[in-house]
Amino acid sequence: MPSLLEARGVVAGYGRGPDILTGVNLTVASGQVQCIIGPNGAGKSTLLKVISGLLPARQGHITFNGKSIENLRPDQVLRHGICLVPQEGALFPDMSVRENLRMGGYIIDDKTELHKRIDEVLEMFPILKERSSQRAKSLSGGEQRMLALSRTLVVRPEIVMLDEPSLGLAPRIVRQMFEIIHLLRDRGLTIIVVEQNAIMGLKNANWGCVLDLGKNLFDGPARDILDDPRIRELYLGKKSQVA
Amino acid sequence: MEILQVVVIGLVLGGVYALMASGLTLVFGVMKIINLAHPIFIIIGAYIAYWLFRLYGLDPILSMPIAMIGLFCLGIAVYKLILEREAGSARYAEMTVLLTFAVAMTFDGLLGFMFTSSQRITSPSYATDAILLGNLFLPKGQFYAGIISVSLIIVLWAFLRYSRLGYAIRATTQNRDAAQLVGVNVALVSTLTFGIGIALAGASGALISFVFSFFPSRHWEWIAMLMSLIVLGGMGKLLGAVVGAFLLAVVAALVSTYIGATWSTLTFFLALFLILLVRPQGLFGEKME
Repeated sequence: MPSLLEARGVVAGYGRGPDILTGVNLTVASGQVQCIIGPNGAGKSTLLKVISGLLPARQGHITFNGKSIENLRPDQVLRHGICLVPQEGALFPDMSVRENLRMGGYIIDDKTELHKRIDEVLEMFPILKERSSQRAKSLSGGEQRMLALSRTLVVRPEIVMLDEPSLGLAPRIVRQMFEIIHLLRDRGLTIIVVEQNAIMGLKNANWGCVLDLGKNLFDGPARDILDDPRIRELYLGKKSQVA
Repeated sequence: MEILQVVVIGLVLGGVYALMASGLTLVFGVMKIINLAHPIFIIIGAYIAYWLFRLYGLDPILSMPIAMIGLFCLGIAVYKLILEREAGSARYAEMTVLLTFAVAMTFDGLLGFMFTSSQRITSPSYATDAILLGNLFLPKGQFYAGIISVSLIIVLWAFLRYSRLGYAIRATTQNRDAAQLVGVNVALVSTLTFGIGIALAGASGALISFVFSFFPSRHWEWIAMLMSLIVLGGMGKLLGAVVGAFLLAVVAALVSTYIGATWSTLTFFLALFLILLVRPQGLFGEKME
């Protein structure tokens, strides 16, 4: 399958601190859900920040559709069609749901087109449509996460990167969140999910990647990772049961 | 009746204070810069209006746009040359306090050298005239300055509420990282916001040039007052600055009338101490974590 996004030998860290990523390679195929797992501090969120342009890469190359995108500004990366939904604090709390969606389409100059797309997104998420004039900070945790995800759809991206979409959510809401992810994949979107809940993430992904100490230890079909006894012992919990 | 008169004067002055504070709070909201140089830019705006009036007879209200454009350019230059290089540093907040203090000192010295420390005031005909509303006496100069200030704040509010750049500024204020992720060029937005904040200082400078006498080092007095206003309202909140300005201006006017003029300045300091003790996030600020 042709790769949409490729990262080769990416090294990155914060400020003058040590390297968090020490040479990550990542290949993301089009139209798939790719799940990145690993222990705390492995560099999962850092990798997403580097791809999205929030953090510069110290070394390495990142290409998207064959074009180099490393060290572009976040707004430039977004214009290539890559969106990041960060772990927390993704929203503009004092803006309404509709205003947040409007900000999601900030790079769209045509106002008519922008409002058309916002309406399309609101049709996909009826609960947000109901609350379109409510302030983002007044939504529940699950609704806020849904709004953060839906906001990226306004620009019709090619890749959406979700950092810990299940964090702090009730199991029912997590299931809904992954149903939405499947729906988006079925519509042709490529999704990268960083997930602390590794089993849940891998069960919902086509492809997986295990990061540890800033390097990828294993890449392969998500099912293979789930079935690998060594990975299960190290990263999925020794006695984890994989259905 | 006297109390109503005092309150009305306080409200009119509150409008002017609100405009003086609006740029300061806008810059803090977006960039987290406590701009100690803000009042010296107000003084520069006042000098622009003063000299245009003195040399060409240009009404200070008409010279307001000139002061705004001049100060916008000066603000951008100061930001680009002095402050931007610190953006991203771990001690950005502390450094900007020191740097803006240095900017204030530098312009204070330059203005003193150029125009001496003599007190100045522009004197258009309406500055010494008054409007009588029944038994209420409204000094025309203060009334005009107050009305124009409030109008400018409404324009600023509408700009922030409805324009594309306004959305970007509000987004950057509320969540800088998220703003970047939706495509806002926050470096450009920060530069423009600083320019707009200083342009507002220029506008208020032109207006106060016929309301208060001014001299270069008067900005030290004003920074304390402006900090009180924006801390009371909630740092970075435009509505907070406006409410804080009206509230404190009325209280200061009442204190001045019924206790003594020398005590009115103390109102601002007392308000600052009290709000920091009781509600440090200010009236409209979010509770700090």
